[in-house]
Amino acid sequence: MTTTLLKYLKGDKVIWFTVLFLSVVSVMAVYSSSGMLAFRTRSGNTEYFLFKHFSILVLGLGLMYVTHRMKYTWFSRLSQVAMLLAVPMLIYTLAMGVNLNSANRWISIPIIEMTFQTSDFAKLALIMYLARLLAVKQDEIKDLKSAFLPMIVPIIVICGLILPANFSTSAILFITCLILMFIGRVNVKHLLSLVGCAILGFALLVGISYVVPVEKVFPRMETWKQRVETYFTTAESEEDAAAISDASFQSDQAKIAVATGGLFGKGPGNSDQRNFLPHPYSDFIYAIVIEEYGLIGGFAVLLAYLILLFRGVKIVVKSPNTFAALLALGCCFMLIFQAMINMAVAVNLFPVTGQPLPLVSMGGTSLWFTSIAVGIILSVSRAIEEGETKTEEEYAIA
Amino acid sequence: METKKDILWRVYLLYAMMCVFGIAIIAQVVNVQFIQGEKWRAKAEALTTEYREIEAARGNIFATDGSLLATSFPIYEVRMDVCADPITDKIFYANLDSLALCLYQLFNDKSKASYKAELTEARKKNNSYLLIQRNVSYVDLQKLKKFPIFKNGKYKGGLITLQQSKRSRPFRELAARTIGYERPGIQPIGLEGAYNSYLTGVGGKRLMQKIAGGVWKPLNDDNEIEPQDGMDLVTTIDINIQDVAEHALLTQLQKHGADHGCTILMEVETGEIRAIANLSKSKNSEEYGEYYNYAIGEATEPGSTFKLASVIALLEDGASTSEIVDTEKGVIYFYGQPMKDSNHDKGGHGKITLHETFEVSSNIGISRMVDKYYSKNPQKFIDRIYAMNLQNPLDLEIPGEGKPKIKNPKDKDWSGVSLPWMSIGYELLMTPMQILTFYNAVANNGNMVKPKFVKEITKNGIVEKEFQTQIINPKICSQETIDKVKRMMEGVVDSGTAKNLKHADFKIAGKTGTAQIAKEGIYKGQKITYQASFVGYFPADNPKYSCIVIVNAPSNSVYYGNLVAGPIFKEIADKVYSSRLDIHKELEATEILAENKIPYAQRGNKNDLVTSLQKLNVPLNNATLNTSRWVTAENKGNKIELKESAETNGIVPKVLGMGARDAIYILENLGLRVIIEGRGTVVQQSINAGTAITLQREIILKLS
Repeated sequence: MTTTLLKYLKGDKVIWFTVLFLSVVSVMAVYSSSGMLAFRTRSGNTEYFLFKHFSILVLGLGLMYVTHRMKYTWFSRLSQVAMLLAVPMLIYTLAMGVNLNSANRWISIPIIEMTFQTSDFAKLALIMYLARLLAVKQDEIKDLKSAFLPMIVPIIVICGLILPANFSTSAILFITCLILMFIGRVNVKHLLSLVGCAILGFALLVGISYVVPVEKVFPRMETWKQRVETYFTTAESEEDAAAISDASFQSDQAKIAVATGGLFGKGPGNSDQRNFLPHPYSDFIYAIVIEEYGLIGGFAVLLAYLILLFRGVKIVVKSPNTFAALLALGCCFMLIFQAMINMAVAVNLFPVTGQPLPLVSMGGTSLWFTSIAVGIILSVSRAIEEGETKTEEEYAIA
Repeated sequence: METKKDILWRVYLLYAMMCVFGIAIIAQVVNVQFIQGEKWRAKAEALTTEYREIEAARGNIFATDGSLLATSFPIYEVRMDVCADPITDKIFYANLDSLALCLYQLFNDKSKASYKAELTEARKKNNSYLLIQRNVSYVDLQKLKKFPIFKNGKYKGGLITLQQSKRSRPFRELAARTIGYERPGIQPIGLEGAYNSYLTGVGGKRLMQKIAGGVWKPLNDDNEIEPQDGMDLVTTIDINIQDVAEHALLTQLQKHGADHGCTILMEVETGEIRAIANLSKSKNSEEYGEYYNYAIGEATEPGSTFKLASVIALLEDGASTSEIVDTEKGVIYFYGQPMKDSNHDKGGHGKITLHETFEVSSNIGISRMVDKYYSKNPQKFIDRIYAMNLQNPLDLEIPGEGKPKIKNPKDKDWSGVSLPWMSIGYELLMTPMQILTFYNAVANNGNMVKPKFVKEITKNGIVEKEFQTQIINPKICSQETIDKVKRMMEGVVDSGTAKNLKHADFKIAGKTGTAQIAKEGIYKGQKITYQASFVGYFPADNPKYSCIVIVNAPSNSVYYGNLVAGPIFKEIADKVYSSRLDIHKELEATEILAENKIPYAQRGNKNDLVTSLQKLNVPLNNATLNTSRWVTAENKGNKIELKESAETNGIVPKVLGMGARDAIYILENLGLRVIIEGRGTVVQQSINAGTAITLQREIILKLS
């Protein structure tokens, strides 16, 4: 049974097993932490989200399987189509999207009645597109006009469209792109000056928001400010404490979860903090994992992500061409970077942001895009294993 | 290859950086767990939460007319988060005084000063769960919400309310045992216990946080799962008749100093229980109360009331009502055991018919007849009894039904005297409810129906479940026999042992019972106590209700069923009869004509007089007189003539002959204070007509 199954699973087996491990962790942690939500919305049917999440997870693995059987070279062409789709979708979402947490991030898909975060799609499209550009422009990569500018324009467009509704996703995507460009040998001077401009620009925006109310354009501005302030402020007066008490509530609850978890945790399903953390099955799932499975469990999950990245590095080493290398690494890094950010937030290393833990957090469509990203990595890995990779020359024609 | 190398070192650098990132995360976990651990774990202590059950409101129990027999009402535990964030020092101290005053005025249990001290103390000690008051009614809670600070709203006011529910029986003792109660850990009693699953509803859940002192405080504003309230029970109890039954029973029990007693009223056709009262002396006082459901739970030797079953068996097996039996001088011996008739000291009944035997309740007569017919085959007699379903429990929904015991010749404890003694209601056990069900079957022309306590189960006034009358045995014996025993039971009241129940308006049929019972270890022959009973139905010619009354151990010398139990039966029957116009025989026109009199009419309100006299078709003079509200009426042979009643302002009018209502209306309107003595029409007024009125002066009216 296992052997026949393995026959169909192509590509890096370590990646497959790591993903399966994370899926098991996901099912257990989501079941435990979605209890309160189920209780409230499904009149006590606590298994509701378990079954829903499990089926989404299985479907995700299916998508992963289908994607990894595709030729990775297709993704070069696909990325162009995807970029053309992503821009109008982001604009539409900004204008019409479902309002969750006062952030217009979602549009609902009519037939399957699920909400769908367009930025998840745009992220993947941009990474794939960037990998393509980096590969194509390798020969003139240090040039500003022919290489840097054609890359930075789509990045700024996509990130700019995501920014108003979801600052952290936009920022993480922006940084991911910069790092990918750095790995793709883009001129470091260009990159540094871009970073300088971005910081300046955002500082200006925040500065303006203190003077002029910009809530209309950036409805989440207050939340951002509050969250960042919370993180950096140590309460000096009682009034300060009261003001930040509400904002620091989440991180405090997460820290309680981490602290009470101890070395070995409280055991599966024994979390207490799930009743206090606002999104225990998503943003703070890592805190729940530590609470229930301890420092050991938390370390295992973190290690799983580092193993994923390590296997991604191995693919880069083995990959015969730049596109394959950057496509696999881009997808891999995007995922791991987001995971690191999520975990850093959960243990209060970073200010609170709303990033799900890839492959673990509950959440339908975002899990599927993550699965597709893993599928792409596996597709490249499969191609290397089967030696069907094209040479640099062949690729250039594609 | 250069390109690849250039890319690879960058990738390794990235990997190294991500590893550092990972180490930083783990380091932070270690930091939170071990270095700051103490602080966060201490905070966690304060955060124990649990989904706590929220009780659903228990359904009501209604009498048949909709009166509430048992209901739950919400009471509230009121607490205050004295340190809620929105209550600043400024707000708190500015309102402290007035809040304390308001609390004092509402509850009046502590002084204003002590309320004030408590609130201040709580504020200083950071008490976020100060107990203000327990058992606060809904009305008081609404007032409370308008108090200073509290009126700032749910969040800003710091008011915390926890709803609880309290069960109460608005009619207190009435049918208390039958309504019963249900409490966890206690054997369920009565209808509350029997229909608990319907009444309870489905509990909800609320996320609560444990705080100091083992108290639970809700975390969110609403319940996570709303409870579904229980359904309501509509019983067959008629609260007015229940009241009369309970009162009549109490009066007789007190009069005879009895140990306990019970009475049940059943509707013949449907088996619906209209009243069920059980009274016994409380353990430590002479007061009577509902402590045990004797009507359902106590199986005793019924005595003479069982003779009905024996007579039915005899008639079914060919005996005739006119068959002569020799009761001799009131004492005979079965296997050396004496059997006596109640009048053995007066020489006994001698030779009498079976019909008379039943009427006078002769023990000898019945047992001799039974002996004659069944001594060779006692099983045949028992089979007859069994065919009437008397050996089976009624299988009532109310828990704790006493089991009937009617033994069989095959049983070990069957002896030679068993048959004669059983025929007069000894050596066997039945509960009052079982006996009544049997008599009810006879009244219902042989159709034995199961006693019914609950008509329907409703939710928000909509019927969810309706209970049909259940038939135990559609024909306990032949119609011929039914007709014969009915006449016998009428004879008991007409000329037998219950002549004192003879009634002018309607006929009662039934049977008395005076059973000797052994009480509390005192066995026969040492000290005899009695159980007096009467069971029957009315109106005899068209039975609507059957009723049983049992009085146990009347301590005084009077113990006969007709004297002790009979009056209770009669009082209940009177009440039922007077409240059910449809069972009255229609008065025939001749009865009015026989009176041959114009109704007596006196002075009073003109419209009232005219309306009622016209209704009775009494010829009137001056019916259209329209000058005054008040008129006098004078009898003129076969007519009534109305005359204007003279009233002059400032002078006491003549109210003689008026009804109380009219007299009070007139006099009080004139500014006098009326005191009424007696009933009827005014025959005397303490201030003479024509006297000048002094405001607020008393006027005494004597009525008769």
